[in-house]
Amino acid sequence: MTLSIDWFAFLEVFAVALVAAVLLVGLYAIGLRLLVVAGRPPVVAPAEFTDAITVISPKAAAKAAKAAAKAAKKNPLTEGQKRLALVGAYAAFVLCGVAVVCGLGIIVWSSLSHG
Amino acid sequence: MESAALIVILVIALSLFFDFTNGFHDTANAMATPIATGALKPKVAVLLAAGLNLVGAFLSTEVSKTISHGIIREDQITPAELLPVIFAGLIGAITWNMLTWLLGLPSSSSHALFGGLIGATIVGVGFLAIDFGVVLSKVILPAVISPLTAGVIAFLATRLAYALTRRVDSRPDGRDGFRFGQIFTSSLVALAHGTNDAQKTMGVVTLALIVAGWQDPKQQTPELWVILACAFTIALGTYMGGWRIIRTLGKGLTDVKPAQGFAAEAATSATILASSAVGFALSTTQVASGSVIGSGLGRRGSKVRWGTVGRITVGWVLTLPAAGAVGAVAAVIVHFLGTWGILLDTVVAAVLIAAMFIRSNRDAVTASNAMSEVAESGRAVKVKRNPPPTRRQRAKEREEKAAKKAAEAEKKSAAKAAKGTAPKTAPTSAEPVDSNAKDGER
Repeated sequence: MTLSIDWFAFLEVFAVALVAAVLLVGLYAIGLRLLVVAGRPPVVAPAEFTDAITVISPKAAAKAAKAAAKAAKKNPLTEGQKRLALVGAYAAFVLCGVAVVCGLGIIVWSSLSHG
Repeated sequence: MESAALIVILVIALSLFFDFTNGFHDTANAMATPIATGALKPKVAVLLAAGLNLVGAFLSTEVSKTISHGIIREDQITPAELLPVIFAGLIGAITWNMLTWLLGLPSSSSHALFGGLIGATIVGVGFLAIDFGVVLSKVILPAVISPLTAGVIAFLATRLAYALTRRVDSRPDGRDGFRFGQIFTSSLVALAHGTNDAQKTMGVVTLALIVAGWQDPKQQTPELWVILACAFTIALGTYMGGWRIIRTLGKGLTDVKPAQGFAAEAATSATILASSAVGFALSTTQVASGSVIGSGLGRRGSKVRWGTVGRITVGWVLTLPAAGAVGAVAAVIVHFLGTWGILLDTVVAAVLIAAMFIRSNRDAVTASNAMSEVAESGRAVKVKRNPPPTRRQRAKEREEKAAKKAAEAEKKSAAKAAKGTAPKTAPTSAEPVDSNAKDGER
């Protein structure tokens, strides 16, 4: 009986998962940052208020929306710069989606080619 | 041959029942965090989880191949020996799964399945019938390594998410946007769950079909009807399990911030999908728990509650041998009593499951018995309500302090100079200027 363990596979899984997660989270966070730079910070109120949400109540969400509008007014960037930041934000979100679709595509393709 | 056909049909029925309990038990893995942060309404979350589990089951069949063509050496065993063993293993897995679910103990459906199969094979046939190389490299080691992998990745991803969106001034940071993003990452987790967990049942059914001679052993991928049956059963289980979660109305969840939830879900789905691609049969519950703990630690001022972590880990470690023991007992009964043993096992398991089901209906549905260990593992990390300042915030504070000190010194020296040179006019002109400066600093 031989015990052959493919240690490289574990390393591969760790590296691939790390790169994928960092790409996904990084691109999405950059997109959010650019939205803020463009003067459009997103305010997303919870769909349902569970008891785990202690920070944002409907009142706090309205306050956050107001603060976001105020900050947008004070934005020192020119209109062109804001537009550029907005385009950058959307590009980051699209790249995020493309990364996910590519990842899933690789999995399906490798499964089909092995099968 | 007739009894073999009967056992195959029993094995398929039991596998599908196991698949159902697996989906039922694991809905919360994908949906605990988005419900906790308010990214999705529970009803929408459950529907999404069920639909994506269904899709995920079609994406990859690598895990199924690990089970049908790896763990058990089919060439060493005759079909007459192996079929009752698979049956006994399933009985062990289902009984242990239902028992831990009823008692609210942390466990993993996947490990219950492997434990049951391995225990029953060792007792029913012998040690040589198990390929321990495959068991070690594709089941046991991934079980130990994958929660750690997910935890480390979730920790780093959470740090990254917070660092990229941090603002030192108190203007809006846009982190609310992660709540919207969670809709997609939690969907990915549900999809990943389908690629790993539905495959395990497909593997068992395929193994039974190959042993009975109903499928060509060279054909590694499961038959289409097997994929369809398993995919729909796990989706149905997920949907039914979700209704229990809806009834808890999101009570008893841990405090998860959207950025943290987003990072945890990204880490969970990336780890499970990468593992599914290489055929690691891991426990999705454990990976999701590892991510929740890792992402909690990624927040500033967090501490691990080792007691809770210890309790969860003990539950995980116990699952494999405990399910193995139940599977072994079932195999002993079949080994000594033959067909009567199979009937006895079926009756005993049916009575046990029915009793547990009736017992569980008597209890009110609460977060403690409807939400999985993922929600529980969130409590393993203690996060301070007011986290300590970051390096940049500390630097900014230091700068402000220094500026304040310099202004005060300037004010003092100006007052001194005014006293020395022009004692009559200076105090009246200097004072209002100084008080204005002080106001400005506040």
